[in-house]
Amino acid sequence: MKKKLTFKRFSIYFDQYLFISITLLSVMGLFFLYSASQGDSSTIIKQSIFVVFGLTLMFAMSQPDPDFYNTFSGIFLVISLLLIFATIIFGKEINGAQRWLNLGFFTLQSSEIIKISLPIFISSYLSNKSLPISPKHTFITLILIGIIFILIARQPDLGTSLVVFMAGIYILFLAGLSWRFISISFGIFVLSLPFLWNNFLEPFQRQRIQTLFDPNADPYGSGWNITQSKIAIGSGGINGKGFQEGSQAHLDFLPETETDFIFAVIAEEFGFIGVCILLSIFFFILLRCLYLAFNARDRFCRLTIGGLSLVFASTLFINLSMVVGLIPVVGMPLPFVSKGGSSLLSFYIAFGIIISMATHKKLMQR
Amino acid sequence: MIDLEERIQEKKSFFYRLVFIYLLFGILFSILLYKTYSLQVSSFSDYEIASLKNRTREVLVQPTRGIIYDRKGNILVNNVPSYDLIIKPWKIENLDNFIVKISEIISLDKKEIDYIDENFNKKALYNRELTIKRNLTTDEIAKFEVRNFRYPNAFIDVRYSRQNKYPYLFSHAIGYVGGVSNEQLNEILINQDKEQKETLFKYSGGFLIGKTGLENIYDKSLRGKFGKKSYEVDASGRFLEEIEFIKPKNGINLFTSLDLGAQKEAYNQMDNRRGAVVALELESGSIVTYLSTPSFSVNSIANGMSTSEFNSLLEDENKPFFDRAAQGRYSPASTIKPAIALYGIKEELIDWEFSIDDPGYFILPEDQRVYRGWKEGGHGTINLNDAIIQSSNTYFFSLAYKSDINKLTNHLSDYGFGRNICSDCFNPDNGLLPTPEWKMNNLNFGWFKGDTVNLGVGQGYMSATPIQLAYYSAFLANKGILNKLSFIQHENKKVDSSNSASKIQKTDWDKIHKSMIGVIEDPRGTAKRLKSLKSYIVAAKSGTVELVSTETKEDYKIIRENKGKRDHAIIIAFGPMPNPKYAVSVVIENGESGGSVAGPVAIAVLNKLITE
Repeated sequence: MKKKLTFKRFSIYFDQYLFISITLLSVMGLFFLYSASQGDSSTIIKQSIFVVFGLTLMFAMSQPDPDFYNTFSGIFLVISLLLIFATIIFGKEINGAQRWLNLGFFTLQSSEIIKISLPIFISSYLSNKSLPISPKHTFITLILIGIIFILIARQPDLGTSLVVFMAGIYILFLAGLSWRFISISFGIFVLSLPFLWNNFLEPFQRQRIQTLFDPNADPYGSGWNITQSKIAIGSGGINGKGFQEGSQAHLDFLPETETDFIFAVIAEEFGFIGVCILLSIFFFILLRCLYLAFNARDRFCRLTIGGLSLVFASTLFINLSMVVGLIPVVGMPLPFVSKGGSSLLSFYIAFGIIISMATHKKLMQR
Repeated sequence: MIDLEERIQEKKSFFYRLVFIYLLFGILFSILLYKTYSLQVSSFSDYEIASLKNRTREVLVQPTRGIIYDRKGNILVNNVPSYDLIIKPWKIENLDNFIVKISEIISLDKKEIDYIDENFNKKALYNRELTIKRNLTTDEIAKFEVRNFRYPNAFIDVRYSRQNKYPYLFSHAIGYVGGVSNEQLNEILINQDKEQKETLFKYSGGFLIGKTGLENIYDKSLRGKFGKKSYEVDASGRFLEEIEFIKPKNGINLFTSLDLGAQKEAYNQMDNRRGAVVALELESGSIVTYLSTPSFSVNSIANGMSTSEFNSLLEDENKPFFDRAAQGRYSPASTIKPAIALYGIKEELIDWEFSIDDPGYFILPEDQRVYRGWKEGGHGTINLNDAIIQSSNTYFFSLAYKSDINKLTNHLSDYGFGRNICSDCFNPDNGLLPTPEWKMNNLNFGWFKGDTVNLGVGQGYMSATPIQLAYYSAFLANKGILNKLSFIQHENKKVDSSNSASKIQKTDWDKIHKSMIGVIEDPRGTAKRLKSLKSYIVAAKSGTVELVSTETKEDYKIIRENKGKRDHAIIIAFGPMPNPKYAVSVVIENGESGGSVAGPVAIAVLNKLITE
């Protein structure tokens, strides 16, 4: 239940269901990370600070009225875009990708910010447009989404750019995109796939997609990650190997155990039962968002809750299906569990905003 | 702005569309969950094995070879520990720099550096370790251990080397070990249900296989069974922890029938002359002495010898690698006479009283061809006993003349000629027992009566190896009863008596023994000079193998100038009489006189065997 605790002068906006489930997920994440980092206490301390800071941030972000976000959504987007440009100019290169902006105390992944500000802006932009969304507004939105998609994709960060792209599309769709437009553009997309394959994907990205279909063709090359991840998950069985007992994770067979592949560590050590428990928490959060979206006070809130929760669902799905080998390897963390800075914080912020949208009621409703 | 109705419609549309997307995600997540289920539950066992295989690496552990003993319990071949400096050539990028660096603490002489240069590339190519310095001194070990961090691709390890304690004495009998080809290794490992993989070696030579001699014949039992060590490894293949160690089953020790003392005596007596000595223990038919000279050091062959050293051995005109004892073909010459005599008795062509007049030659009635004896003027009227003692050629020419060649060769085959009479000799030659059929097939000529006549004195096409001559000697000593020869101490003395020699009467055996005793003891005997060399009675028959047929003694004197054309000296002997225990055969190439040159060697070996 959404709650409004009224004090003398001000109110506190808070959703205990989301708060408890996200806290639970974060704490479980700390345990998983402890094992995945081979018991490295400095990693855990750092992550704990992030979790505490993140939960605080989430709480803080739920306090402002949705009108605040609505009003300033344009400014947020402009700031996010400036950060993206700053990254392109001053960014730090890691593993051939220029995604990070060094702020001295914190390395910011600017695409994580725009992952939130873009959905809010589009929600705001479309919230007062009549149904169905006119071609003009559709195109304006699409061009915006397209520009941002390309900016992020060129960093290159295929995973995040896809999530951002989808977030925009989700909101466009939820806001009432015409079915005719949907069917036409879907047809164009399918037809242009070969063109995209040849022109927009880096060679290593193409390689990843190719190995997806036959990871055994090159088990020690690009298929290594998928092969080792599958072995880790499969060998976990129903009950798992036990906390810190995962040989795949602890003997370095599994890559990126602390970040993208942490789900493989969880599956190896806690088995199918552990996987089910973990997923049910995620599903609970998603269903809670669905409920909140239906009961939001206006169209802007509905669209924002829907959009952000679908960003969350997409991230979750991309990460999990990559780790189990359903889709190619793309850099995508497991929300609230993977070690991280920007991506971890961005979800606390997103859920803070969701709670704000869900708990504030229009005073002058009648 | 939008009106209320539109707002309601918008809310409904939003509701349906969000539910639609959630349903899509529901399907996606169901697929995901199903995929996880199939990995973790359906294919669990496959992945469990894959995970286990990932983190374990097995290496083979080499067993040590069995020790080889002589019949008195003396160790002949042993595994000797040594501390070697070993490098990993595939990890060394610049060999010259490495040699300069390592030379600062461990000096390498030119020979050793040559050896490294010769082998480095090959070892690097096949990821094999290379031992660059053997038998480090304690000083060198200490120096290296303090600085070993500077040499990550070098290490000191205790390795064994296969060492023959008497490297020249048993080079042909026991043979040597050497490296294994990939095919051989595969075969060995497949037989042990293992596959080729990284191996922890016990020997500095790596994988070993018996190349020649007993090391080869008994390789399987000497070799032992490989053990297995399993390590937990991480993704980079580093060994983290030993999980399991199945110890290798070391090879089974080999207790041979060889006699160290007699072998030494034979070796000293031969004094590097070209030839062979074989001595047998009669009761079991086991080989106590087996020597081919000149010899070579099996240790340097087995534990690394430079190519140039090896080549000089190969090119040596005395052919040290050639195993004369089992592969040298020699005419038995006069030593064949007792067997021919027994044939005459068995076939009733002659009896012990039958005598002939020996003018010193035999004329073949068919073509008037002359076959000469060794003594000019001949031996006069001579009976069988004297014909053996004095080695009358004429007597045996005329006896052979009366013989049926097929029956005669069958008879000689019983005595061990023309067949393999050894159960565990390495690549024995069967010699040659010529038959009319053989001559037609190989020389494209029919059999002449003269060929049979030549056979009567062991000349012509016939040839035998020293081990066959020893068998023959033992067969005579044992009166026609003899096991197949063997190098192993046998507990059960199964006797093989299924041949026609059993038709010969005991009295005839006694008489042939008596004649052979006469060869030494009789003042007219061809080996009478041996009489004083011993304190017991020995039966013998000497022989002189003509390499070039000459008409007169003068002709031979000319021939003699060329050492390689001098006659071979040959003798067979057994004793002590009347109950012989050992038989011996000696061949000395170009030694000229069987009695006085080969004889002393045979007596010395018998002395060693009988009196000690």
